[in-house]
Amino acid sequence: MTVNRRTFLQGAFGAVGLVMAQGALSKLVYAQGASGTLRVAIAKPAGNLDPQSHYAIWAIQDLMFEPLVKYGRGGQIEPCLATDWKIEGGGKTLHLTLRQGVTFQDGTKFDAAACKWNLERWMGLDQFSWMNCSKYFESLEVVDDYHITLHFNEPVLALMQELSYTRPPRFLSPMSVGADGKFKEPVGTGPWRQVKADDTESAFERYDGYWGDKPSYERLEAKVIPDPRSRVAALRSGEIDLVGGFWIAPLTPEEAKQLEAAAVNVVVDPGNVTLVMAFNPDRAAALKDSQVRKAISIGIDRAAISQVLYHGYAKPAGNLFSSALPYAGKQHGAPVRDAAAASALLEKAGWTGGPIRSKDGKPLTLEMVVSPDAVPGSRIIAEVIQSEMKEIGIDLVIRSVDHASKHTDMLEQKYDLGFFLTYGAPYDPFGSIVGLCLSTFKNDVEGKLVTDPVNLDPLINAATAATGDQIEPTIQKVYDWLRDNDAIAPLVYVPSIWAHSNRVQGFTSPVTEYDMPYENIVLAAE
Amino acid sequence: MKNLKPLFARLNKIPRAALITIGLFVALGTFAPWLAPQDPSAQNLLEAGSGPSAAHWLGTDHLGRDTLSRLLIAANTSLVSVGSVLGIAMTIGIAMGTIAGYHRGWVDDVLMRVVDVGLSIPSLIIALAVIGIVGPGYWTMVLALALAWWPMSGRISRAVAVSIMSKPHIEALRVLGASPWRIYFNHLLPGTIGAVMVYATADAGVAALAVATLSFLGLGIQPPTPEWGQMLVDALPYLESDPRQVLLPGLALTAAVIGFNTLGESIALNRIPKPLTRRTLAARRIEVAGWGKESLDAK
Repeated sequence: MTVNRRTFLQGAFGAVGLVMAQGALSKLVYAQGASGTLRVAIAKPAGNLDPQSHYAIWAIQDLMFEPLVKYGRGGQIEPCLATDWKIEGGGKTLHLTLRQGVTFQDGTKFDAAACKWNLERWMGLDQFSWMNCSKYFESLEVVDDYHITLHFNEPVLALMQELSYTRPPRFLSPMSVGADGKFKEPVGTGPWRQVKADDTESAFERYDGYWGDKPSYERLEAKVIPDPRSRVAALRSGEIDLVGGFWIAPLTPEEAKQLEAAAVNVVVDPGNVTLVMAFNPDRAAALKDSQVRKAISIGIDRAAISQVLYHGYAKPAGNLFSSALPYAGKQHGAPVRDAAAASALLEKAGWTGGPIRSKDGKPLTLEMVVSPDAVPGSRIIAEVIQSEMKEIGIDLVIRSVDHASKHTDMLEQKYDLGFFLTYGAPYDPFGSIVGLCLSTFKNDVEGKLVTDPVNLDPLINAATAATGDQIEPTIQKVYDWLRDNDAIAPLVYVPSIWAHSNRVQGFTSPVTEYDMPYENIVLAAE
Repeated sequence: MKNLKPLFARLNKIPRAALITIGLFVALGTFAPWLAPQDPSAQNLLEAGSGPSAAHWLGTDHLGRDTLSRLLIAANTSLVSVGSVLGIAMTIGIAMGTIAGYHRGWVDDVLMRVVDVGLSIPSLIIALAVIGIVGPGYWTMVLALALAWWPMSGRISRAVAVSIMSKPHIEALRVLGASPWRIYFNHLLPGTIGAVMVYATADAGVAALAVATLSFLGLGIQPPTPEWGQMLVDALPYLESDPRQVLLPGLALTAAVIGFNTLGESIALNRIPKPLTRRTLAARRIEVAGWGKESLDAK
């Protein structure tokens, strides 16, 4: 057969028609198979769901396992498996009243015995000593079927916040473990029961014996789509309904903007995580001078970064924590870029000349370590800062490394300037203050944002030892010290970005980045 | 001018498109710092992602930097890094290959086994390993790639050296009492370099791609130095909203790689006598028939 114009055109039209028909058909099939099912994208398989291990996607564990208390908006502690709690003995005793009529998904009753079995799996163990309630745990006593009392040998800071964490404090059915007491199957008290889990998806069915408000749809499927562009394409083709979440399947501001342009529903929450720049005066002597640190801080155009790189979804940060968190302290506006003032500060500090300033014959060169895998978008932000630093006479060298090297470099302090993300709700403010700023606290994962054993440690210790009304003024002193000394440079509050299909109605952003926001969703009929 | 004639004749045999592409690449790469209309790393966030205009002929990138200037300077970056990689790799490779080819025997065996080990590991993996140990940076990348690249030229130069060494004129030189140094530097080395250079042309495209790949992975050239691979990865998030940003560095890289490959291939092919086409055969027949006539005329 020879190809002439007619056969070519016939063939081309036929092919285009076929593709369009297939597209329409596949949409129809997706929709049909999905009625009553919420399909969420996850970036990697859900992993080992054991609430006492650290491998799974938090939000998947959140579907099945519940805590004693929930972390609500603005840090409000809300009842969950415990209906009432009382802290006595100066913070050393916790009386818990457990919810009645709760059963695990395998039919086992949730009572004081089940609660005790769960708490003893992790409280007081070395492995979990990063949590104060585990570090100071003394004893546990069952009062009756629905009352339990915990004793600690020290007052526990942010005790109820800690009990709301996803792991390890969530509750697993005592019947779901193997003979050796090790985790076997994920059986919790939550509204979703796992029916399937493999490398391509995890599927859940509604647990009809759930004690609380049951979801309005029967099934939830978490589909593994590792590539960000494929996730966005899947949402647009109707293959999935919901995508987003920092730890679930992150959407970049650019992707969100493109989705918005394509009339997809995008929900942006100001978020409760802060992107902070750390100074390392131990390695770069120039950074020992607070004037240099201040010059760098006011030399950065936070407004432009949030406007151009985050497309306006992020807010410039003037504090370590945003007001979305409890005890976030007095909120200051973000520093406005002032190149002239920054240059003047550097002159005053003795760094003169140009185009790169120098002092005692040494040029003002600083190295910034970035890892876009660890902190999304950090390399581009670094490039912007690099160009802004050049304008005020600082030579900034960018060293981009992979995720693992970033962790080791930060731990070994092999950087002059680096990026940190605060932990966010429910861990903050104390999680980041202790984990990233207290020199005596061992942090083997992120390294330290800033430490000062002489000046900062006493302030942090006072804040963590404070109770009641004393917490606010003592923690404010920590924030004031950080601010007055320009010890850190908060850049932006990282937004929480989600996008969903038209089937999803009533969506609200999750309270923390560790929750799956399934709760208020109603699926529209198509 | 007369001396240049054979050169032009040889250049004429090379596909014109490849010659122009590579000529442009080398010329633009060499003179990029003078040709670039603007500072390639000067940012203007307010103009980020704007299209072609009088001020920015090819538009700006995601940070408001002039794309044309960046593409030009990136050509310079690629040219210098590819040149350095091949320069270092060939120096090591030719030295090893010619020594092996000259000496033969156990020296040859040892050196060629080392080459075998080098060849058995994919070059990009060696480069990644070196960068992983030393840490990313411009010269680390160049050295890592050179380290990955030399075994190939080592193997080729050894083969060429062996063939030169078995030629009668080398034997004649030996008989005449030429010193090993003279044979090596005056006869063996120049012949080998010429032959290996041909392969280097074809390799330049692959090396340019390797440099771009490493930069794409964030392990090669560090910002703000513009590099095509880096520009590609930076532009990827904007693939949908502004494909221009991806297309331009992509096209530049593709053109350079295809250009080098075609060039290398045609140079290599030009060294082999071509089978005669029907038309040349016919032309020759007519010419030969003409000879007969000529001889008749002469009578």
